[in-house]
Formats: sequence, C-alpha cells, structure tokens
Amino acid sequence: MSTIPTAHFLYLAALLFSFGLFAALARKNAISVLMGIELMLNGVNINLLAFARHWGPDNVTGGVFVVFVITLAAAEAAVALAIIIAIYRQMKGVNVDEVKFLKG
Amino acid sequence: MTTTLFYIIAGVTAASALLAVTLRNLFHCALFLALTMFGVSGVFLYLGNEFLAAVQVLIYVGAVTVLIIFGIMLTRNVMEEGTRALNGQAFLAVLTAAAFLWVLHQALCLSPFRPDGPTQALATVANYGADVNALGPALLLPQNGFVFAFEFVSVLLLAALVGAIVVARKDPS
Repeated sequence: MSTIPTAHFLYLAALLFSFGLFAALARKNAISVLMGIELMLNGVNINLLAFARHWGPDNVTGGVFVVFVITLAAAEAAVALAIIIAIYRQMKGVNVDEVKFLKG
Repeated sequence: MTTTLFYIIAGVTAASALLAVTLRNLFHCALFLALTMFGVSGVFLYLGNEFLAAVQVLIYVGAVTVLIIFGIMLTRNVMEEGTRALNGQAFLAVLTAAAFLWVLHQALCLSPFRPDGPTQALATVANYGADVNALGPALLLPQNGFVFAFEFVSVLLLAALVGAIVVARKDPS
C-alpha cells in the first residue's frame, strides 16, 4: 500500500489557508472575503484529519472536531450572507471598504 | 498509482483555490470554490474518512456554494467591469500570506510531522466504514465529553438560522 507523508497534507492545508487569508485581507467584495474564510476553514479541516490519521487509525477526535467546524462554517455562511444582503439593501453595494458607518 | 492520484487531486485543489481568490469575475470564483471543495473531499478520502468526504460534498458543494451563488445573484451589478477586485492593501496581504506560509513551513520542519519523518499507511479497504461507526459514539457517549458541545452546536445552528432570517428580512417600516 502506498504511503503519503503527513507533511504533504499539512502543506496542502497551509496553501489553502494562505490563499484564504489573502482573500480575506485583500478582496474588496464582501462575498469574496466570505469565500476566503471558507477556504481557511477547509485548510483547518484537512489539518485536523491529517493529525488524527498521524496518531493512529482509531483516532476519531479529529473527525469530531471537523464535524463541529463544518457546522460552524455553515452557520457562519448563512449569517454572513444575511448581513451582506442587508448591507446591500442599505448601501447599494457590498464593498467592505465603504462599510464604515459604525466607525467612531 | 493511488499516490499519483493524490498529488493530482492536491494540485487541482490548490490551483482552483488560487483561482477562486484571484479571479475578477465573482461567479467564476464561486465555481472554482466548488471545485476546491470537491478536491478537499477527495483529500478526506485519502485521510480514510469517507463519511466526512460525503458530508463535505453535501454541505460545502451542495449548500454553501449554492448559498454564495445566491448571494452573488442577489447583490448583482456590484462588480462592474473596470472596478478593481482588490483593495489598497493587496501587496501587504500577499506579503502576510507568504510570511504565514513561511512560518508554517519552518514550524513543520521542526515538528514530528516533517517530510522526512515517519509516514502513516493509507487506510486499508478493511477500514472502510469504520469512521461512521466510530463517529457516533465519539460524539454522543457521555464519557467522551462532546455531548454538551454537540447540543450547544445544534442550538447555535438554530439561532444562526433564525438570526439570518431576521437580519435579511425587509424592514417593515
């Protein structure tokens, strides 16, 4: 049976997280920022499962954490899109640079 | 053969993730995000977790991507041609992401997971289905300590659902 080092899973996860970080920091559109956050969460999920596999095939705690992360990501996506739609109705745009009416 | 397939899946996943965050057309971004989620689901298979791979396809490809596409449709004509997709701190963001990647690489080289360290065998055929049988008790048996978190997360999901409806609702006034 072929083997893949745990490190290669971790590198893939790190790449996904970095791309997501870039999107969350640099994109103008709020939906792009949301997509970046989803990418980061996926990278974290790969990490959790890779660590769980590394410490033995009977280890399910990583899977349990992935279930929680996926649940929270779904809830976060729903709330974030509701907020984006509300902002669009208010300002006729979803550019995160222009949303600053809470700024003191 | 299976190893080669893994690297192909990983390459497609990383490439489509890069396209999903850099393309200008938001709709193309969402489609490449769906491809990334498919790739991550394939990686989950390689990690011996078929149930979570299926959940990944159902929730991310089936629900979150569709939700994002709905969001793009509902906030149409925002990203017209000629507007910039990136804000003024794009260069700093690239720098931050690259620095983060470098830090992770350095940490990985010091950790027991480093590339030349011991490797783990892939899940064998005999293990298929074992993850589902293990996941239920792991979540719900009281001695594992996840019961409270499980119930809490279900209440949170309900609260997020109601909250999303309230926030997105048209103001009656």
